[in-house]
Amino acid sequence: MNAIRSDIKELVIARLEVLPPNIKVSLGNMDFTKEQLVEHVKKEDDIGKKIVEVELEFIRALKEGEVV
Amino acid sequence: MSVSMIITRPDHDDVTHYLHSWSEQIISEAESKNVKVVDLEKNRAIRREVENVLEKIPAQIVIFNGHGSDSSIADHNFEVLIKSGENESLLKSKIVYAISCSSGKILGPKSIDAGAISFTGYDDIFFLARDPIKISRPLEDGLAELFLKHSNVFVISLIKGNSVSDSFEKSKFIMKENFTKLLAGGDSKSSVARYLWWNYKHFVSHGNLNATI
Repeated sequence: MNAIRSDIKELVIARLEVLPPNIKVSLGNMDFTKEQLVEHVKKEDDIGKKIVEVELEFIRALKEGEVV
Repeated sequence: MSVSMIITRPDHDDVTHYLHSWSEQIISEAESKNVKVVDLEKNRAIRREVENVLEKIPAQIVIFNGHGSDSSIADHNFEVLIKSGENESLLKSKIVYAISCSSGKILGPKSIDAGAISFTGYDDIFFLARDPIKISRPLEDGLAELFLKHSNVFVISLIKGNSVSDSFEKSKFIMKENFTKLLAGGDSKSSVARYLWWNYKHFVSHGNLNATI
C-alpha cells in the first residue's frame, strides 16, 4: 500500500476513536491501546497500514452486504 | 483405535498466556473422551521437543497455539517451531489446527503437499481484543471470549468425531454469532466487531475436509 490518502486516514482515525478506552487489541505478538493504534495510522507504518486495510475492507463488506 | 492429540501451549507474552489458558478446556474435553493428550506447554513447547514427539507419537490431531507467519509457527522462545521447507513433513497423516497469525497462507498448503490430512488456521493476522485487567484471569475475559470461543469449538467438535468440514462450519457459526452479538450491542464494544470479522474472513481450512479422527 502506498501513502494513505489524508481523507482515508481521517476516516480510519475517526472510526478508531470509538473503540472502548480500556481495551487492548493484539495483532500477532504486539498489543495496542486505542491511542497507539491511532498513532500508527498517523505514522503510516506497517501496523498503521494494516489497520487501514482492515477498516477499508470492513467498510466495503458492510456496503456490499457481506456483513450480517 | 486409541486417539492421541499433541498440543503446544507456549506462554511467554500476553497473547500466548491467553491461548495457553483458553486451551485448557480443549485438554479437559479431550481427556473426558479418552483422548491421550500430549501437552507441550511452556518450556516444552520448543522445536526439539515437538519434533521428537511428532516423530514418536502417532497422534491423529496436532494443535498449535502461538505466534506465526505465512510460512511458520513460533515456539515458547519465539523461535521457529514448524516451518515450510524445513519440517512440515512431520505433520504427515495429521489433522492440524493452528491458532496463530497467517500460517494458513503458506505453511498450511505446504503441509498438505507434505502429507498432512488437513490444516486449519488463519491466512492473515489474527486479532485478539481483550480487557487488560483480566490478564491474570483470561478465562473471565468476556471480550476475549468473543475472539477465542470458536477456536475451542472447532477442536472439541473434532474430538467428538465430527469431520473437519463440520467442525469448521460450527466454528464459523460461533464467530458469526459473536460478531452479530457485538454489532447488535450498539455500545463502544461493538466497534471491535471489525476485528472479529477479519478473523472470520481469514479462517481457512485446507486438505481433506471430510476427514475425522
